[in-house]
Amino acid sequence: MYQYSEFDRSFVNQRVAHYRDQTQRYLDGKLSDDEFLQLRLRNGLYIQRLAPMLRVAVPYGTLSSKQLRALAAISRDYDRGYGHLSTRQNMQFNWPALEDVPDILQALADVDMHAIQTSGSCIRNVTTDQFAGAAADETIDPRPFCELLRQWSTSHPEFEWLPRKFKIAVTGAAQDRAAIGVHDIGMRIHGNDDHPEDALIDVYAGGGLGRTPVLGALIREKLPAKDLLTYTEALMRVYNRYGRRDNKYKARIKILVRAMTPEGFKAQVDAEWEQIKDSPSTVPATELRRLRDFFRPPAFGQQADANTMLADQRLTHRDFDRWVKHNVTPHRADGYAVVTLSTKSIGVPPGDVSSDQIDAVANWADQYSFSEIRISHEQNFVLPHVPKVALFELWQQATDIGLGSFNMGLLSDMICCPGGDYCSLANAKSLPVAEAIQRRFADYDFQFDLGEIDLNISGCMNACGHHHVGHIGILGVDKKGQEFYQISLGGHAGHSGEAPKLGQIVGPSVARAEVCDVIEKILHVYLARRFDEESFLSCFDRIGIDPFKESVYASAA
Amino acid sequence: MPQLLRNIDQNWRIVDDGDIHWRAEEDWQAGEPLQVGVDSEPDSTWLEASAIAVDFPALTDGRGLSLAVLLRTRLHYTGDLVARGNVHEDIVHFLARSGFNVIELPQGKDLQTALTWVDPHSGYYQPSVANPQTVFASKN
Repeated sequence: MYQYSEFDRSFVNQRVAHYRDQTQRYLDGKLSDDEFLQLRLRNGLYIQRLAPMLRVAVPYGTLSSKQLRALAAISRDYDRGYGHLSTRQNMQFNWPALEDVPDILQALADVDMHAIQTSGSCIRNVTTDQFAGAAADETIDPRPFCELLRQWSTSHPEFEWLPRKFKIAVTGAAQDRAAIGVHDIGMRIHGNDDHPEDALIDVYAGGGLGRTPVLGALIREKLPAKDLLTYTEALMRVYNRYGRRDNKYKARIKILVRAMTPEGFKAQVDAEWEQIKDSPSTVPATELRRLRDFFRPPAFGQQADANTMLADQRLTHRDFDRWVKHNVTPHRADGYAVVTLSTKSIGVPPGDVSSDQIDAVANWADQYSFSEIRISHEQNFVLPHVPKVALFELWQQATDIGLGSFNMGLLSDMICCPGGDYCSLANAKSLPVAEAIQRRFADYDFQFDLGEIDLNISGCMNACGHHHVGHIGILGVDKKGQEFYQISLGGHAGHSGEAPKLGQIVGPSVARAEVCDVIEKILHVYLARRFDEESFLSCFDRIGIDPFKESVYASAA
Repeated sequence: MPQLLRNIDQNWRIVDDGDIHWRAEEDWQAGEPLQVGVDSEPDSTWLEASAIAVDFPALTDGRGLSLAVLLRTRLHYTGDLVARGNVHEDIVHFLARSGFNVIELPQGKDLQTALTWVDPHSGYYQPSVANPQTVFASKN
């Protein structure tokens, strides 16, 4: 993991001091609501429907056990005993008091964490593959590049006041688990960990969800690693200068790229880059190797052959067998596995975790996973390096505390934004819909039979629940003050190495009470029409949307 | 009297420089002080201005920061570069690092607060107009 230098530490502490002063001036009436809004947003603080919400940055989703314990303590001391894992790999607290936030930020700084640029129209936390450094299909660890971008984008003098929020995602694996196609900038790195300075980066720009979902366009192939920051600077300058500021719904970079055309945008960026190509932000090989060294694999010991034992355990414990099948991912090191601890159990909002659960995960990380934890954009915890011999023991403990659901990738492992229950932007509630679906399809045998299905729910077109890239997407809409839900099918965020795809809308939106029935009809069309092992997504691609449309609206007519 | 901070030999100070009669581009002539909007395209004729001001329409509008960078690094403008308009005490450090050497605060804003936060960090993660050296060695 990256370790803060004294420089990092004093930077974050100085930032807390500045924010403490801003908060005090606001409380003293010296800053208006509008002025303070912009300052607090850039320190992670929203004022939501019920209370403030503080979004803590978890850079590229990687945490140490010590940091996770600090988050558990914050959830106890300043919140109501729980936290929320976001779809951007961060952790959110829903009930902090505004005047406590400087102290919370100090508590974060004490464990080398912050909430800098987790909201506001600036460069947000860089996200990546939650299995980085562990996945068997990875060619190069993206995290050194993410850390490079994190540092460069922190309080950048020129790019803190952009037309709109700006999200960067990076991957270095065959399967794109970071959804780079639906980010403002997506980066795919080619190369290997031995020579990060020789890495080449494909840069995509202008992807995004929200009210106008667009897939990013490839604007630079094989960018040398040393040019990562100067090229990004050129790109950001073009966006900062020419991105629309008159209408916040047209201010994302995707609108600019579309208006200029990807070729036109690329030409502008290239022209700007020509001028700054070898400027002092050119990254020396020593810096890339230095950052790489922080993410060296831990000392994986020789593990006893666990395969026989594991086979026995799976035979005798059906639920454990299911958990291994769904929640355990192959690791690149012999004798190890990647474990996903699902936060999705019935009656719990997806991504919500109690203080005790957070502490338990920190303890398991110490015991089983070299003290390291990841947060996935599917809102689950990941223990990246677990010896296979310890899987059974870990599963038993996880089950005892409600983190042992064996539903990763299944229907009930849904992505869901906080929706109208918390968020002041939402048009409709999302959590009750998620819960109703979980209850309706609680039968795991049915879910196993369905196989892999990503069901994503957003409470408004800002698309925090990534509904466009759900195999089944649900979007909350407001119709004359009533909550309605629009269903889309066939989207995915970059499945099995394919380019991501946006879902197609089935038809007119439906009332909340009808959502579960509609989902059931859709699932039955799939079950009736699929060939053997054909997945939902493949079946949809083959038969198209019409059979689903007919089933959903035939009986309603 | 405008409320001004000025960078004098790498030290920011509250100064009393008197009023300047800024001219918009359409009625400006060489030798006069020129005020431009944040959406302007930098033009080499501006180098003949006695001073250049960039007018910020809102504290959230970062275009003026990019414009300052281009004036300093692309046109190599070395004269007074003044940030004015909707300039806020808490963003002065972005202005200072992007190449402004004079900051004019609107009435009602506090010069002392701006001076306190004109350089809130002992070091930064990027080179800037104010400090163009590479940072890779200094932050590790």
